[in-house]
Amino acid sequence: MSSGSGTTVRSLLLLSAVGLMGAAATYLVEGPVRFWANWLVWMVFGIAVGLGCLFIVALEHQVQSIWSVPLRRVPERLSSLALWVTPLVLAALLGLPVLYPWAKPAGASVPAIVLKSAWLNTPFFIVRTLICVALWFLAYGLVVKRSFEQDRSRDPMITVRLRRYAPLVLAIFALTLTTVAFDWISSLEPVWYSDIFGVYLFAGTFLSGLAATTLGTLYLYNRGRLPGITKDHLYNLGGFLFAFTVFWGYIAFAQYMLMWYGDMPEEVFWFKQRTTGGWLALALILGIGHFFVPFLALVSRKAKTSPKRLRWVSLWLLAFMLIDLYWLIFPAVGAKVRLGWPELSFALLFLPLGLLAARAAMAKGEDTPVGDPFLQEGLEFRL
Amino acid sequence: MPEPEAPFGVLGLYPTAQALLEAIPGIKARGFSNLEAYTPFPVHGLEEALGLKKSRLGTLVFIMAALGAVSAFLFEWWTSAVDYPLVIGGKPFNSWQAFVPVMFEVTVLFATFTAGLGMLFLFNKLPFFGSPILGSKAIRETTKDRFGLLIMPVEGVLDVEAASAALLETGGSGVEVLAAPDSAPPGLGWWLKTLSGIAAACVVAGFGTAWAIQIYPTLPPMVHMEVQPRLDAQKADSFFADGHGMQLPPVGTVARGYMPLLAKSPEEAGKELINPLPVTPAVLQKGRDLFNNHCAVCHDRLGTGKPWLTSAYTAKPANLQASTYREAPDGYIYYVISEGKGAMPSYAADLSANDRWAIVDYVRALQRSQHAEPEDVQ
Repeated sequence: MSSGSGTTVRSLLLLSAVGLMGAAATYLVEGPVRFWANWLVWMVFGIAVGLGCLFIVALEHQVQSIWSVPLRRVPERLSSLALWVTPLVLAALLGLPVLYPWAKPAGASVPAIVLKSAWLNTPFFIVRTLICVALWFLAYGLVVKRSFEQDRSRDPMITVRLRRYAPLVLAIFALTLTTVAFDWISSLEPVWYSDIFGVYLFAGTFLSGLAATTLGTLYLYNRGRLPGITKDHLYNLGGFLFAFTVFWGYIAFAQYMLMWYGDMPEEVFWFKQRTTGGWLALALILGIGHFFVPFLALVSRKAKTSPKRLRWVSLWLLAFMLIDLYWLIFPAVGAKVRLGWPELSFALLFLPLGLLAARAAMAKGEDTPVGDPFLQEGLEFRL
Repeated sequence: MPEPEAPFGVLGLYPTAQALLEAIPGIKARGFSNLEAYTPFPVHGLEEALGLKKSRLGTLVFIMAALGAVSAFLFEWWTSAVDYPLVIGGKPFNSWQAFVPVMFEVTVLFATFTAGLGMLFLFNKLPFFGSPILGSKAIRETTKDRFGLLIMPVEGVLDVEAASAALLETGGSGVEVLAAPDSAPPGLGWWLKTLSGIAAACVVAGFGTAWAIQIYPTLPPMVHMEVQPRLDAQKADSFFADGHGMQLPPVGTVARGYMPLLAKSPEEAGKELINPLPVTPAVLQKGRDLFNNHCAVCHDRLGTGKPWLTSAYTAKPANLQASTYREAPDGYIYYVISEGKGAMPSYAADLSANDRWAIVDYVRALQRSQHAEPEDVQ
């Protein structure tokens, strides 16, 4: 490793250390609620990026997509973020009695919470979380790990086996992501009902995975490490980003409109507290920034093949995934919009760590799955 | 005698897509810039080689889609908030949330129609039925296994000799000159032929249908329930002596569970009728549900006759808390529910006799609640 990259690692770690101090100060000064709420945002963000990439890999095997084979190594590498996030998840279990009303003694007196106590109780929650984490390791082992072995062995049967496990991984993905959505986010307000919430988080997750994959692909592409990748491949990534921007908007609006129309107290209060006061501004920013801006930025054909455009839209979408999570989580624990040094500290703590994890992941294996028998066919893909 | 027109173009055939792509720069170098290719399948790089400009269709579709969204919103806003405001589910008249699904549909509608029709009529220049390429000898090959290149005139001028030579020199074969299509507007004869053809087709189809129906009358698919013997209300029937399917009840009979209202006015009913229902919590509960479902929309939940809804309209429902109605006997209110009064219609079809009496009891309770006697609070 060159000295330049050593400096980068050191400065990133330094930034992270500063962030860690800020996070610790948050706990002491601002109290545990704000600390754990910030923690939760970054934990779910890490899960979203990692699982989103894992989903892209499994999806490619499931539908036997050829065009994406030359790009598959990027989501394969980045899906390890879903495993790196494990310590965050385990630590977050300590925050359960701080954040979740059903884990507090007072929750036992709310009838709606008592009704759901068969699902929302601390021991079962911990068991579910551990199962989810174990399933992510299993999924990674099933659909990603062997692909790296294929670089050396060039065994085409590995591709067949990966395709065979893809449906199982997709099922694991669907179940665990829905569990994350319902357990970690939705149950912050256990009285609230929303069947579509799992799909809502899925939309953001897939979009985050796509954005991370696009960024990783462009990182390699701009350094000439993906020979044979053309604008046609980039166009497909751009098309996916565009399509799932619209999907996110569709799901977000569907959830909002049905609850607005129904006007049931156990549903609508959730939106009411997120669209009043300072949260309304944030909700509008979210709708415009998460849907209209990327929609208009990617609608033209040329934009979908422009590396520059794809890069900033991907970064933009990742930023808005964070804003989305902030908007989902923070109103549940505090009445006001609070963006201050604690939030900045957590960004300083986790962004450099995430970049380091991504950097380490991006060094794994070859840049393209050289042992995959469909690689050449994938490189020849044209629109 | 008009000047001899330039031909539609000179067509040459190439054996492979690659040969076609390689030939195009040579043709262009010879000064022919208005080119069109005919291939059996899409060929990568052909657009760039021919130098086709980016289609403006995408921009057009985007503009029309935006227009669709805006016009749908304006229309919904005008119908629901301006022209005919209706309260739906207690929402404000101008509810953008409710407009979005329709806006979405109209956006898609405008976009697809613009894309489809714009492609056909604006950019493909339809209707144009007689493209000379369809009459060429090469039409079979270009839809099967040959790749055609057409050199078309620039500003109405085409050197046929040079174009043919250019096609042959770049590896083309089967060169043919396609004559320009007849661009003269259709004359009287064409119109006569076309219109009389349509008229003849109508006559033949009409008479043919009429004739076919005589021989094959319309056959309903399944008629078992339709043709079973039964008495139809309001229909003649031979079963009874008077020939009516529907019979009057024998004089003096009353249907089970139905007591006809014999009083002719509310005052008369007030004197004659006695409330048969005892005042029990169950009766009042039933009366409250029925009152809130049927009556409260105009008379308000407290019976004041001033609910928030009617403020938008000109009707003036009765104030049941007024002394007139507090002092009116039970039968009076019962009669009004049964027969209506002023703008109020009869509710006899919706509410059974017991329902109406339960409402009367509940109205009494409402009146008492707003005009409590001293002993009520002791």
